[in-house]
Amino acid sequence: MKYRILIIEDDVVIQTQLRNLLAGNGYETEAINDFPVSMEQLKSFQPHLILLDIKLPGSDGFSVCSQIRTFSDVPIIFVTSCNTDMDELNSIMLGGDAFVTKPYNTAILLAKTASLLKRAYSVNGQETLSCHGITLHLESGKIEYADRQTDLTKTELKTLYYLFKHAGTICTRADIVEYLWDNRLYVDDNTLSVNINRIRDKLSAIGVNDFIKTKHRQGYII
Amino acid sequence: MNGKLYWKQKLPVMFLNVLCMVGLAVFLWVTGNSIDGIFLILLIWIAVLTARLVAAYYSRREQMKNLLKLAEQLEERYLLSEVMEKPVRADDLVYYRLLKLAGKSMLEQVNEVRRERTQYKEYVEQWVHEIKTPITAMKLLCENNHSQVTAELLVQLEKVNRYTEQALYYARSEHTEKDYSVREIRLFDVVHQSIAENKYLLLQNGVGINLRETDDTVYSDEKWLCFILNQLIVNSVKYRTKQPVLKFYTEHQGSQIILCVQDNGIGIDAGDLQRIFEKGFTGKNGREALQNSTGIGLYLCKRLCDKLGIGICADSEGSGTSLRLIFHINDFIQQVQD
Repeated sequence: MKYRILIIEDDVVIQTQLRNLLAGNGYETEAINDFPVSMEQLKSFQPHLILLDIKLPGSDGFSVCSQIRTFSDVPIIFVTSCNTDMDELNSIMLGGDAFVTKPYNTAILLAKTASLLKRAYSVNGQETLSCHGITLHLESGKIEYADRQTDLTKTELKTLYYLFKHAGTICTRADIVEYLWDNRLYVDDNTLSVNINRIRDKLSAIGVNDFIKTKHRQGYII
Repeated sequence: MNGKLYWKQKLPVMFLNVLCMVGLAVFLWVTGNSIDGIFLILLIWIAVLTARLVAAYYSRREQMKNLLKLAEQLEERYLLSEVMEKPVRADDLVYYRLLKLAGKSMLEQVNEVRRERTQYKEYVEQWVHEIKTPITAMKLLCENNHSQVTAELLVQLEKVNRYTEQALYYARSEHTEKDYSVREIRLFDVVHQSIAENKYLLLQNGVGINLRETDDTVYSDEKWLCFILNQLIVNSVKYRTKQPVLKFYTEHQGSQIILCVQDNGIGIDAGDLQRIFEKGFTGKNGREALQNSTGIGLYLCKRLCDKLGIGICADSEGSGTSLRLIFHINDFIQQVQD
């Protein structure tokens, strides 16, 4: 099931780009274009999560938030350029679940979105990703092929996660490194090579060969 | 009060008195008074005159001394006319009125400037918030459309964002009001945050990150601290050498937690080390390295640190620089919580 995210933001470019970003990460999105925000429109969309700007024409995000809270417990992330402590405090007091300041790091925004959705709609069972009969267990940090398993380090897991998510397309080394940095793993180019080699060793130990292919001067693909 | 000058200015009065005395003596002598009588009269005259002059001198001196003392004790001296006693002498009253007028116009000026400053500060804050919207839009556009060009653009956008933040914090640091809120923060969370904020800069320059992560917490303002760390990271990248590495680690020293930011860059001249936190100081490196240095970054860091009660010091031995942020762990907060 796709989660529906509602974007309440008056800047058209940001709105469109946020929708692109979220759609690219597997969310269904909707945006509100008429201000002040009408609660009927909001209710009809039935969002799983709301991204809410504080500065809005007509009314501000705080009052929208308190209005929403009168009938719904949907997670709300405040996205704003006002980064004073008063705003942050206000947003939390009024029932906001997270506070992200502009210009936001998209990785952080996505991570907060994912974790709030997970908390609010507690996904059951272990999360797994599969590709060519190989299964990646995200919770336990294991990779499995034909009933044979092996443990992965955090860096290896994240690298594989990125490759699995982009299966079938070429992932450049720079993109993988950037993704790892977003996950607080500060590897450089050499370390990435070492990690990829180690993953290949581990994979061949459970009987998988040539899973990760190197595209010369471009990157990796699975 | 200058005694010599005071007496000098009293000379005409004394001279007049002497003249009168001589006149009176001559008159009395001509009208046939005895020498003893004349001397007695003159003696009394001199005695009364001296007593009067001396008494006037001391009372005046006391009055002036009190005024000076009052002025010294006042923090805002331009308010002197508001607190001083109203004088009784006619000419003093004129000066008193002049002082009041001067004080009042001064006060008006001060208030005017203060209001302008506050307005300007508010304007800068608002401006920074408004400029963040287009920056965000550009950043999202770049991140949604990966290419060689957008990668370069993102580095530049990071720079734009940093300069705007600098303007914001400069405006805030100038003001005496508290714009920060202190709470318990995990040091390495802030480190991660500022690395994320400078991700593209660090990646583009191939900076290796070396963290010795701990769970140390301190009481401070997260945003200000993050801003300070950003400045330190940018400096390290600016003055890098080949294969730059940036190390973050904490040390404990008695009741202090020290966060060290260490690089292997070109370092700082021993002679410059004392002055790097001065406003506008660029030093040998700032002038000679290709980068243009403004001498604002570290000055702002120092200012913000002073406000937050964080110690900041720099070390450089030959090559590489290590910046230390010294946090005091206060037993008091711990005790209150227990």
